[in-house]
Amino acid sequence: MRVLITGMGGELGTRVSNLLEADDSVTEILGMDLFPPRRRIFRSEFHRVEPTDRRKAVRLVRDFDPEVILHVGIFEPHSRTNPDEARRSTAASAVSVLGAAAKCGSLRQIIVRSGLEVYGRRRGAPTRPDESVVPDPTSPFGVSLGHVEQVATEAGQLAGVPVTLMRLAPIVGPSIPSPLGRYLRLPAVGVDPISELPFSLLHQEDACQAMYSAIGRDHDGPLNIVGPGAVTATQTVLMGRRIPVPVFGPGWIFAAAASELLGAPLPPHSRELLIRGCTADGTLGSEVLGLEPRSTHEVVEQLYRWEDVAHPIQTVSGASS
Amino acid sequence: MSLDAVRRGVPGASLAMAAQRRARGGYLVDEWGLDPDLVAIADPFFAARWDLSVEGAERLPAVGGAVLVFNRRIGISEPWVLARVVRQASGRFVRTVGVPDIAPVGPALRRFGGVLDRTDEIAGLLRAGQLVGLPMSRDIRSRERVGQLTVERLEAAIETLSPVVPVALVGREVGRSWRIVVGEPVAYPAGGGPLAAAELAEATREAVQEMLDEALPTAWWF
Repeated sequence: MRVLITGMGGELGTRVSNLLEADDSVTEILGMDLFPPRRRIFRSEFHRVEPTDRRKAVRLVRDFDPEVILHVGIFEPHSRTNPDEARRSTAASAVSVLGAAAKCGSLRQIIVRSGLEVYGRRRGAPTRPDESVVPDPTSPFGVSLGHVEQVATEAGQLAGVPVTLMRLAPIVGPSIPSPLGRYLRLPAVGVDPISELPFSLLHQEDACQAMYSAIGRDHDGPLNIVGPGAVTATQTVLMGRRIPVPVFGPGWIFAAAASELLGAPLPPHSRELLIRGCTADGTLGSEVLGLEPRSTHEVVEQLYRWEDVAHPIQTVSGASS
Repeated sequence: MSLDAVRRGVPGASLAMAAQRRARGGYLVDEWGLDPDLVAIADPFFAARWDLSVEGAERLPAVGGAVLVFNRRIGISEPWVLARVVRQASGRFVRTVGVPDIAPVGPALRRFGGVLDRTDEIAGLLRAGQLVGLPMSRDIRSRERVGQLTVERLEAAIETLSPVVPVALVGREVGRSWRIVVGEPVAYPAGGGPLAAAELAEATREAVQEMLDEALPTAWWF
């Protein structure tokens, strides 16, 4: 099986490619990203491609003729790029790679990283949406993810292959560059104790396992990937022994500015999560993929534990070292 | 003897322990916002506020999702009364439908089990095995007549094959005494089809009305 991974340079992309390298049924792995892989890769082939370099991306995809595409190349605002660049790169990457893949004769499945942000948190929106709820994004990142889903669905229809839309809960972990994780680790954290609603989080390892497990399942449609339980922002801050600073209404403008000065800019979708919450029903995702993600409480505890990252490294022969 | 056992014997110790737990963030909040710890802290207030008597508590489902359809007159006390009775009788929480999605009222009521008035919200709760309290419309003029039931909301019960349990509440908004009667689950209409939810709503409404007729005192001035 030939697998193409976009976003291989990110934490998720590198880890997913390591998982694929240990799978004997995967014969060839081609990765592309703006940044080089964050860990050692063994038998994957990596190409550095600017997301806006459509010609190079299209040529690579057509020459490789993938059977499965794992589109992990989603740029979260303030994760590693600024919001404008993140939006442009996410859109350009999706259009060029998925558009080219739609015309590849061997393509069998498209798997796309999306997020719960596509559901939006408009007033009166369902608190814990399942996959049947129509997306109605209310943040720029949610809109960006919605566009990627749309492009992937169109590409899937054109190629006549199933498209698995992986709506991952906000990902945090000890090493992933996440604006939410950075914000929650500040010594004093702005929260709205009166208005806040609960949110769910996903550990980076569970996100990678979910992306990897989706290969070959041929699920056509969205899957919510979210563990059990939820926490409020105040509760999270208290669990991490930080100082919760009450912030109300326009005070968030100052809180966002202060956190940016401290090196943890707060994008609109993270602010929305802290106030309006963000959860979903992950029953279908767990059933289809056979996964039980960690609970949100466990994810929060690990976020504040500052653990060393020590993934077992797979060699070419599959043995751990 | 453990320190916790000693603390339990000291007046106010449980409240102090709860405060300590909350200061550390060591409490649970579910996806819809229910905070069982906060409910437990507020429980002495509810106990002082209402004197409740219940009939048919054994008909409350011990596990799994169910819809409890209840009448209301003004509608301020009824959700709290029902939630407390069910908590006392079965140890389960009632997720009362109809919370406004406006801060700070909405988030505050969600801490005590309130949920939004949406069919997909109710279906999600039932799939998760929760008890959903579905109020009928208000009838301020007469306490002898039950209000209407929104048919679409019962589609969630039909979709998840959850039992629909009628509950009659008798009491006064400013009074202390409330009487709660829990009925047998309403039988689903045979055959299903598009009219199933409407027929189920009608049968449920009639069941609550009958129970209310029997439960109301005969004295006209009450």
